[in-house]
Amino acid sequence: MAMETFSYDNKIVRNFAFATAIYGVVGMAVGLLVALQIFEPAANLGSQYTTFGRIRPLHTNAVIFAFVGNGIFMGVYYSLQRLCKARMFSDVLSKLHFWGWQLIIVSAVVTLPLGLTTSKEYAELEWPIDILITVVWVIFGINMIGTIMKRREKHMYVAIWFYLATFLTVAMLHVVNSLGLPVSLFKSYSVFAGVQDALVQWWYGHNAVAFFLTTPYLGLMYYFLPKAANRPVFSYRLSIIHFWALIFIYIWAGPHHLLYNALPDWAQSLGTVFSIMLIAPSWGGMLNGLLTLRGAWDRVRQDPILKFMVVAVTAYGMATFEGPLLSVKSINALTHFTDWTIAHVHVGGLGWNGFLTFGILYWLIPRIYQTQLYSVKLANAHFWIGTLGILGYAIPMYWAGLTQGLMWKQFTDEGFLQYPIFLETVLQIVPMYMFRAIGGGIYLIGAIVGVYNLVLTARQGTLLAEEQASAPALVADTEPDTAKNVYGHRWIESRPVQFLVATLIAVTIGGVIEFVPAFLIKSNVPTIESVQPYTALELSGRDIYIREGCNTCHSQQVRPFRSETERYGEYSKPGEFVYDHPFLWGSKRIGPDLARIGDKYPDAWHYNHMIDPRSMSPGSLMPPYPWLADQSIDLSIIGKKLSVMKTLGVPYSDEEVSSAADNTMAQAREISEGLAASGINVESDREIVALIAYLQRLGTDLKAQRVSDNKQYKPKPYVRRGY
Amino acid sequence: MSAKRVKDELLDHDYDGIQELDNDLPPWWLYLFYFTIAWSVAYLIYFHVLGGDLQEAEYLAEMKAAEVMKKELLAEQARQGAAAALTTQLTDDESLARGKVVYTTHCLACHGAYGEGGVGPNMTDEYWIHGGTMTDVVNTILNGVPAKGMISWRPVLKPDEITEVASFILSLQGTNPPNGKAPEGEKVGG
Ligand code: HEC
Ligand code: HEC
Repeated sequence: MAMETFSYDNKIVRNFAFATAIYGVVGMAVGLLVALQIFEPAANLGSQYTTFGRIRPLHTNAVIFAFVGNGIFMGVYYSLQRLCKARMFSDVLSKLHFWGWQLIIVSAVVTLPLGLTTSKEYAELEWPIDILITVVWVIFGINMIGTIMKRREKHMYVAIWFYLATFLTVAMLHVVNSLGLPVSLFKSYSVFAGVQDALVQWWYGHNAVAFFLTTPYLGLMYYFLPKAANRPVFSYRLSIIHFWALIFIYIWAGPHHLLYNALPDWAQSLGTVFSIMLIAPSWGGMLNGLLTLRGAWDRVRQDPILKFMVVAVTAYGMATFEGPLLSVKSINALTHFTDWTIAHVHVGGLGWNGFLTFGILYWLIPRIYQTQLYSVKLANAHFWIGTLGILGYAIPMYWAGLTQGLMWKQFTDEGFLQYPIFLETVLQIVPMYMFRAIGGGIYLIGAIVGVYNLVLTARQGTLLAEEQASAPALVADTEPDTAKNVYGHRWIESRPVQFLVATLIAVTIGGVIEFVPAFLIKSNVPTIESVQPYTALELSGRDIYIREGCNTCHSQQVRPFRSETERYGEYSKPGEFVYDHPFLWGSKRIGPDLARIGDKYPDAWHYNHMIDPRSMSPGSLMPPYPWLADQSIDLSIIGKKLSVMKTLGVPYSDEEVSSAADNTMAQAREISEGLAASGINVESDREIVALIAYLQRLGTDLKAQRVSDNKQYKPKPYVRRGY
Repeated sequence: MSAKRVKDELLDHDYDGIQELDNDLPPWWLYLFYFTIAWSVAYLIYFHVLGGDLQEAEYLAEMKAAEVMKKELLAEQARQGAAAALTTQLTDDESLARGKVVYTTHCLACHGAYGEGGVGPNMTDEYWIHGGTMTDVVNTILNGVPAKGMISWRPVLKPDEITEVASFILSLQGTNPPNGKAPEGEKVGG
C-alpha cells in the first residue's frame, strides 16, 4: 500500500494549551474574589463592576468556557489528528476557531461586569455573543468533521464518538436555550416564559455539564489515559454500551434541577429516574479509565501525570454518583438551594475537569516541545497542593450545605421555625465560607505552580510546529473487515454520517418528550386570573435585578414544604410566572427567597437596605448597591421593552406600549413621594425606585387571588398601582 | 469478576498505538444498570399509576400533621393557663431585660434603638396607631401590619417572648429619647 506523508499541526494545539493555562488561572482567581465577597462584601472594592452578582457569572463562564473550553479544543486538536492519521481539515478554520473563541471570552470579560446578561445560568452572554458562539462552534464542527472525512484510519476510535456527540448536542442546546428577542444591541428577552423557560434552561444547564464538561473530557480520557499509562483500554464493549447509554439518558435528566419547584410532577419524576439510570453509564467511563491502569499501578505512584488522571477519574465517579443521589426528591429537599450543590460541582470541576486538564498538559507540552517536563518534583507538588485544595474546598461546603439545609427546616417543639431570621442561618456558616476561600486559594496556588512548570518546560524545548507522519491512504471498502465485530458496532464506526444521525436521534428524544407536553398541554400551567403583566416601571426594575445578578443570591421559588411556607408564604404555582421572560427562580439561596417579598416591608426599608443592607439587617452579607440611587432609569428603551414583550405574548395594550415612559415616571413619582414622607429624598427617575417597584410587586398577584377566593382572608386590600 | 470474563484478549485494531481489550462488561456493573432501570420503572408506576403522594399531597399531609401537633400544644397550654398570660403586662426587671433582647434583635432596625421610631412609629409617645393597651400591642405584634411593612411576628417569636417584648415597649412610655419621630395615630390614655 502506498504510504502518504503529511504533518500534524501542533501549533494550534500549543495555542489552545496556553489559552487553557492562562484562563485557568484567571477564572480561578475570579472565583476566589467571589468567594471572598460572600463573607466580606467589601471585597468588591465598592465597584459595581466587581460586585458579586456580576462576577459570579464571570467566574462560571471563565472556568467552563475559557478554561475547560480551550482544554477541550487543545485535546481534540491533538488527538483527532492522530486518531484520524490526518492533518486538521483546514488551517484557516483552525485559526478562525482559535481566535473566534478567544474573542468570545474577551467579550464575556467585558460584558458580564457591565451587567449585560440574560440571567440564564451558563448562558448569560447576550445575543450578539450568542451568535458569535454559534458561528465559531460551527467552524469547529466543520473542521472536525472535515478531518474525519479525510481520515486515513477506517474506523473511528471511541474518543471521536464522544467528540461528535459533544459537537452536535452543544450546538442544539445552545441554539434552543438562547432563543430570544433583542430589545437593543445588548438586551434581549427569552422567547420562553416561566415554567417553560425553566425547563429549557435546565435542559440546557444540566446538559452543558453533560456535553461540555463530561463527554468531551471522556473522549480526552480515552485518548490520553491509555497513552500516558501505555496500556490497552480495558473493554471495548463497555465503551460502546456506556457511550450510547450515557448520551441517550443524560438529556432527560434536566428537571432534577427543579425538584419541588413549580414544575409538573411528571417532569420532575422523569428528572429523578433518568438521573438514577445515569449511575451505571457514568461509572462505565470511570471503570474503563481505572481498569485500563491495571498493571500500571506501580507507575501511578511515581508519575504525576497518572496521579492527576487517577484522581480526575475518581472524582468523576464520585460526582456522578452524588448527582443521582441529589436527584432523589427527599435528599434534594434538604440540599437544593444550599452550598451542597456548590460542593458537588467543585468536586467535578476541580477534580475531574481541572485535574484531567493538568494531566494532559503535563503529558502534551513536553511532547510538542520535544523535551522533558521541566520539573517532575514541581508537578508532584502541584498534585498534592491541588488535592489539598479540593478537600479544603469541598469539605467546608458540604458542611455548610448540610448545616444550612437543616437550619432552614428546624422547627421548635411549639411548632415555630427555630431560625426564623434567615440571616442567622447564613452567619452560622460564615466560618465555612472562609475555609472554602482558603481551599480554593490553595488550589489556585497549585495551578500557578503548574503553569510556571509548563512555561519553563516550553522554554527549554522548541516547538515542533509541524510533526511529520505517514500512513497508508484509505482505500475503498473492498476487503472484508477482519476485526471482531462486537454488537455489529464496527459498521457504524466507519460511517461518520450515519454515526451523527444516530447520535442526533439519541440526544433529541428526551428533550422532545419533555418539552412538547410542557408547551402544548394547558393543564401543565393552570392559569391564575389575578396574575397580570408587570408595569413599565416594574419591568425596568426587573431588568435591573437581572443586571445586578440578584438572582445569584436570591431564589424566587417557594417550595411546598411547611418550613418554606411558614417562612415565606404560599408555595409557588406555575401560573404565577407566565409573563416572566426570562424566569428568575434561581438555584442558590445565599439570601432569602424573594417570591413573596412584595408588601413585606415598606419602600423605605428597601431603600435603606439597598443602600446599606447592614443598616436594616445587622451583619448582612448582601452587598450594598449605592449606585442604584445615582443612576437613572433608561426611559428611551422602555417602550421597546414592552413592545418586545408584547410580541412574545404578554398582553400589553398598544396604549400601554406607547405611553410606557410616562407611566414609568408616574408610578416612580408616587414611590419617591412616599419615600419623601419617610424622610428619604430621592429623584423619582433613579434605578432604585424601579427596583423597589419590582420587589413590592413580587408575590402580590397571588395574594390578590386569595382575597377574591376567600372573603375571610383579608390582608391589605389589593390595589394594583394602576398602570 | 471470573477469569473467563476478564480474558484480556487484545482486539486486532489499534488507533495511534492505543489498543483495546475484548473484556466483557463487569457483571456487577451490568446488574447495577438493570437495577436502576427496574427501580425507575417501579418509581414511575408507584407515583403516576398507583397514585403515590405527589408534591401537593405531600405538602398537605405535612401541614395537617403540624396542625394536629399545634392543637395538642394549645390544649396543653390552655390547661396550664398560658393563654391568659400572653396579655399580662410584666414589670419585673428580668422579664423586661429579656424583652429588650428580643427588641434589639428584631425590632430595633425599624423602631430605633430607644423606641424613637424610624421606618416604624415612635413607641415612646402616647400616640398609637393600633391601640396602646397591652392587649392591643400584643395583637399588633402577633398579627403585624403587613401592608405597612410590619410582618406578623407570630411565626417568629415564642409566646413568652411576645409578652416580654410588648411589656418592654410599654415600659418605654414617656422616656422621650432624642430624635423621636413625630406622633402618629391616636392619643391614648393621658
Ligand atoms: C451576595 C449575595 C446577595 C446578593 C447578590 C443580593 N442579596 Fe439580597 N440578601 C442577601 C442576604 C444574605 C440577605 C439576608 C440579610 C438581609 O436582610 O440583608 C438578603 C436580603 C434581601 C432582602 C430582604 C429579604 C427578606 O425577606 O427580609 C431583599 C429584599 C433583598 N435581599 C434584595 C436584593 C436585591 C434586589 C438584590 C440585587 C440588587 C440583592 N438582594 C442581591 C444576599 C444577597
Ligand atoms: C420592617 C420594619 C419593622 C420591624 C422590623 C418591626 N416593626 Fe413594628 N411597625 C413597623 C411599621 C411600619 C409600623 C406602623 C404600622 C402602621 O402604620 O400601621 C409598626 C407598628 C408597630 C406597632 C404598633 C405601633 C402603633 O402605633 O400602634 C407595634 C406595637 C410594633 N410595631 C411592634 C414591633 C415589635 C415588637 C417588633 C419586633 C418584634 C417590630 N415592631 C418590628 C415596622 C416594623
